[in-house]
Amino acid sequence: MALFADLNIVNTPDTDRKRLQSLIENAAHLGYSTVAINHVAEFQGKKQEIAKPISVTELYPSPPIVQGKSKPIKILTRLTVIVSDAAHCNDLRITSPHTRSYDIVAVLPKTEKLFHVACMTLDIDLICINVIEKQPYHFRRPSVNGAIERGIYFELAYSPAIKDSTMRRYTISNALSLMQICKGKNIIMSSAAERPLELRGPYDIANLGLLFGLTEGDAKAALSTNCRAALLHGETRKTALGVIYTVKKVSATEEKDEGTPLSKRAKTKSD
Amino acid sequence: MMQNLEKCARHLLVSEKSNLRNIKSRHRKHVESHHYNYQVSILIPECGLMPPGVTAVCRTLGDYYLVKQLQLHEMLEPEFINKFVRKGFLYVLSYNTRIDQDNCIALLPTGKLILSIDKDTYEELGLEGQPSMYSHRTAVRYNVTVHLRDATFVPGDKRYNRVMWALKEKKPLTFDFLMTWHPSDGEEASLKSYFMDYECKLYQPKLSTRILNNIDCPVLLSKELKGKDDESCSSQEFLEWLGAVSSDIDCNNQADNFLSTYCCPWPSTVLDKACLCTVSGFIIPEGINLIMDQLRLYFEEPKLAQWVSMTVHGFADSPVSWGESEHGYHKGGENLYNFVLFRNQDYWLHMAVGTHSGCPP
Repeated sequence: MALFADLNIVNTPDTDRKRLQSLIENAAHLGYSTVAINHVAEFQGKKQEIAKPISVTELYPSPPIVQGKSKPIKILTRLTVIVSDAAHCNDLRITSPHTRSYDIVAVLPKTEKLFHVACMTLDIDLICINVIEKQPYHFRRPSVNGAIERGIYFELAYSPAIKDSTMRRYTISNALSLMQICKGKNIIMSSAAERPLELRGPYDIANLGLLFGLTEGDAKAALSTNCRAALLHGETRKTALGVIYTVKKVSATEEKDEGTPLSKRAKTKSD
Repeated sequence: MMQNLEKCARHLLVSEKSNLRNIKSRHRKHVESHHYNYQVSILIPECGLMPPGVTAVCRTLGDYYLVKQLQLHEMLEPEFINKFVRKGFLYVLSYNTRIDQDNCIALLPTGKLILSIDKDTYEELGLEGQPSMYSHRTAVRYNVTVHLRDATFVPGDKRYNRVMWALKEKKPLTFDFLMTWHPSDGEEASLKSYFMDYECKLYQPKLSTRILNNIDCPVLLSKELKGKDDESCSSQEFLEWLGAVSSDIDCNNQADNFLSTYCCPWPSTVLDKACLCTVSGFIIPEGINLIMDQLRLYFEEPKLAQWVSMTVHGFADSPVSWGESEHGYHKGGENLYNFVLFRNQDYWLHMAVGTHSGCPP
């Protein structure tokens, strides 16, 4: 298994910095090695605003140490676009330079047609499963299989299930209907936490995965291996599919660009 | 789908009984093959004071070192190998690394260096290894074994150069290491003086003793491992009871809102006193064998107690458990064994592992 990651820590405009910091500190305390700060973009009322992601170095001069390890936590940025109309997908394509500044890009499709588009053509890393209301459409095998083939992952958030019993019902029923189609492949579980107390430890969430119909191994992979694969997918989307150039700055003498072995895993199918 | 929820994760418990005087008894071997031990707890019933012999051994279990930010290739230097690895038993384990998340390193006293590393590191190192037995769908963890004690493993040898190059230039790995060394002959060399350049701290195992009063205790018959109806308890029931005792859970149940359904296995007697002694640290098997010898001596004189028990817990994050069998962490990485020594030199041995571990010998 790889490092544990929680790819969804919600950053709403009214979230102050202190709350975000305490959320991340709590995640580090619980044993997550990677967190992603999520920016949600909703196109309702044409308030299109895919802003620059929060600056991680500004938020934390030195990130907190992960519990039980000697390494600091890794903080990433993520963009979630709520797509309720086909026109919004165009925005997603046009805003390519915007999305580029984010490590992970996710969409939440509202209709079956948009779900299919998201699975088959959109250049994204994650597809969110709606957990706060009844799934308005059925998951279809061709679109889900297409997404799995392309290395796109499905995300289930668990903190709405902690807050409210109706949402708990929707979370479990939507998760189960997805599991029937995808057979436990390409699933990521994340928190979508707004408050520190809504976070849970990774091993607890692996247990919750059993309730969603995952097997023991799948449930743990949903927090570790799959997250790693999604991050790598995001990396290839951000730069290029085949080659990644990194520039090492060693004093003034310029070192030659190095093709890291990451490039070999460009298409995260095998991960 | 729902049967998944009712299923329990895999776990194993091996129980056997034998006699300490038996020539073929393998109790010493079992102790020696469990290399990394974190905690030893000893329970002596009907005893208000720890026997001085046992306490003395527990106090001199041997110090261990924590070396910080040590480069892995330092352990491959010929000087280090000649000074420590070949001349004694060196136990090394990486500290603060999780076996299911990070790279973990262990050096066995047999001179085997085991690297349990993730996919990225494995591919960058370019050393030959096997995928871990407990990976899911695709392999994300690999085990690399290097024999340091091999006569041919010297500078100039092709394999040596390859390993050295990989760890020195290709992918330098640094870890915090727990180390302890048990010299095989009287030669003196100190790990501390060898690692002068690094931050190296000396630790001693922590000893704590607790006296328990008036506890219920199951009746054991050394010949009956499975227990006899209304005469003795089975070894599994005993092990469960032992866990409750060492975590300070009493079984005086009261029928109120916080009902505990745990009760002492039947038949039971009431112990006036019992002595529970816990030693925790990086403990080597040689030390545990010494403790065991002292516990054997306990029954030289007539005593009130019928048996004494010793439980040894291994590290949850060590790459190996018994011998060289791979060890993993699913939802708990427990690996432990327990000896119950009886007055007539019979003993019971329990060996238990969690989900991701090979079967104990």
